[in-house]
Amino acid sequence: MSRILVVDDEANICVLYSEELADEGYEVVTASNTSEAIEKLQEGQFDLTVLDIKLKNESGIDLLQKLVKERHDMPVILCSAFSCYKDDFSAWLADGYVVKSGDLSELKQEIARVLAKKAQKAKTGL
Amino acid sequence: MDWECCWDREVISMGDCPNIREGDEDLLASQRRRILEKCCDCPNFKRDLIRFRDSGHPLSPVFSLVHEEYRRQKTQIQSLVSFLDNKTLEVRFLHELGSVLQSSVDLEEVLSVALTAITAGKGFGMNRAFLFMTDKERGHLQGYLAIGPRNYEEASQTWNEIASNDLDLQTLAQNFRKNKLSAERAKFHDILERLSVPLSRTDHILVKALDGKHPVLIEDAFHHPEIEPEFARLLGVDTFLLMPLISRNRRVGVIIADNCITHRRITEEDMRSLETFTFPVAFAIERAALYDRLQVELNRVTEASNKLKEQQELIVRMEKMALVGRITSSIAHSIRNPLMIIGGFARSMLKNTPESDPKRDFIESIVGEARQLEGVLDEILNYSDSLYPTRDFWDANYLVESAIRDTAEAQRARGCVCGFEAGHDLPPAWIDFKQVAYCLRTILQSDIDGTVEQGVISIGTSLEGDVIVIRIEDRSRCVSQDELDTMLTPFSSTQDLGGGLGLALCKTMLDKQGIPLNAESLPEGGLLYTIILPTRKEEQP
Repeated sequence: MSRILVVDDEANICVLYSEELADEGYEVVTASNTSEAIEKLQEGQFDLTVLDIKLKNESGIDLLQKLVKERHDMPVILCSAFSCYKDDFSAWLADGYVVKSGDLSELKQEIARVLAKKAQKAKTGL
Repeated sequence: MDWECCWDREVISMGDCPNIREGDEDLLASQRRRILEKCCDCPNFKRDLIRFRDSGHPLSPVFSLVHEEYRRQKTQIQSLVSFLDNKTLEVRFLHELGSVLQSSVDLEEVLSVALTAITAGKGFGMNRAFLFMTDKERGHLQGYLAIGPRNYEEASQTWNEIASNDLDLQTLAQNFRKNKLSAERAKFHDILERLSVPLSRTDHILVKALDGKHPVLIEDAFHHPEIEPEFARLLGVDTFLLMPLISRNRRVGVIIADNCITHRRITEEDMRSLETFTFPVAFAIERAALYDRLQVELNRVTEASNKLKEQQELIVRMEKMALVGRITSSIAHSIRNPLMIIGGFARSMLKNTPESDPKRDFIESIVGEARQLEGVLDEILNYSDSLYPTRDFWDANYLVESAIRDTAEAQRARGCVCGFEAGHDLPPAWIDFKQVAYCLRTILQSDIDGTVEQGVISIGTSLEGDVIVIRIEDRSRCVSQDELDTMLTPFSSTQDLGGGLGLALCKTMLDKQGIPLNAESLPEGGLLYTIILPTRKEEQP
């Protein structure tokens, strides 16, 4: 079972993601800010992180840069209310980008795609 | 003694004196004036004097002496009067010239006046004049303008014209500027072009005259030791006058004047008159040239000021737009999260609600409304993005292919197909890819929503002139032109057509990039969208 860390400052979104992704067969852990996220990442192993860009007074992009540097084997999907970040160079470090929507199909598809790619990479070493 | 002349009679009649003609009637009764003005030069009086001398009267030699002296003095006075008359005319002319030159800051007008004054009969009456101007940037003395006839026929025609019109200097100069300036420039172009002397050539006669600051009369130019043969040959005349134009110690230029047609001798007096004339001319030329430069600088400053103003307005506009963008984004963010929570939980609930549950309809409504609100939010955010188009060169075929790919799911769901005929060898289009891709997607989505099942949407790209035309055609859909126009108008009700705000927003976004979007209801049924993409940067607004 793949473990996913969801980082979002909205408690209800964390609940929604947890339930919906659990239904898809993932184990979901949530964090509401960057320090909590780092703490959770240190506590256990994760296959993927779903990261919100706006975290109250913090920036998800900063955490993304840290994760890419320190946990480059763990893919990150950015999830944001803003589509404009798609064009932001710093956002291109992420493995995927999804605009937040009540319809979680796109997010689920993106998670499946990124995890499949990770698995493929682990298998082939490419 | 009987005298032949009438000097001894107080009153005479017409015909008594051969020197009194019509108009001199007042002399008939004025003996004194008649003697002074007429008798002294009268042959009858001379004969009377001889008879008087022959009479042996002791006063007769004295009388003859007085008469002779009187006539000499009279001639001298007449000569002085004539000289003074000429000087008066000259002063009047210089005054007129000075007034005209002082009142003008237009270089061409000043030059027209100056050269007309040199060559006009009412002026200095020279046949021809060349003006050389110093080009400080190039360090040259360059032939600039010339005036005068090139042969006798032309001279005769011009002088007849001037004589018949009897115009003052200012009018002559105005006529010259209006009717002849360009022609004179063209006429002497070959000579003026070749008359260019570096100011560093201090041995050249033109530079010498300029440095010497005094007029120089050149005679026998073809054999003159200081005149280059080529220079003399170009002027084609052996006597000419060089007049330097100096204004406050600054070297403005040189005027060459000659009498190439009449060959009238250039006198010392001509030189002195022309020297007096060159001071106001040099000053006026320099002032006009400075005024010209001032105008150029003024235009530059005005242009820079306008540009600055535009930039300031742009900054203010951009700040306003950025503020609008930030507000829109902030609102959108505040709305999107709760909206996705509502929609997300509603979907979750829907998944776990049995088909038979009466609450299912309500939950489905919540899901539908939330989806619709998310769509509106996307449009608002896209509009916010459209405030800042970022253009670059993009492949138009790739653009269309991505739009088709992005709507693949909707095509499958609707059971329709998008056929694409890509144009060959298309140049790149100068567009904001993201915005145009969004517009294409929206148009396709709108068409997919409205088309019949199994419908075919044909898309093609082609190069027409220097623009790329994208055509999206759906033959299976019937929409009237009015309805299409409504779909492209913001805030019009388009619910029945299923287009939402999308198409109107697309038109606005494309308009901002100067890209026309046309929607046409085809007479034979169906509808056609045309998007014209520029391929050159300068076509943008």
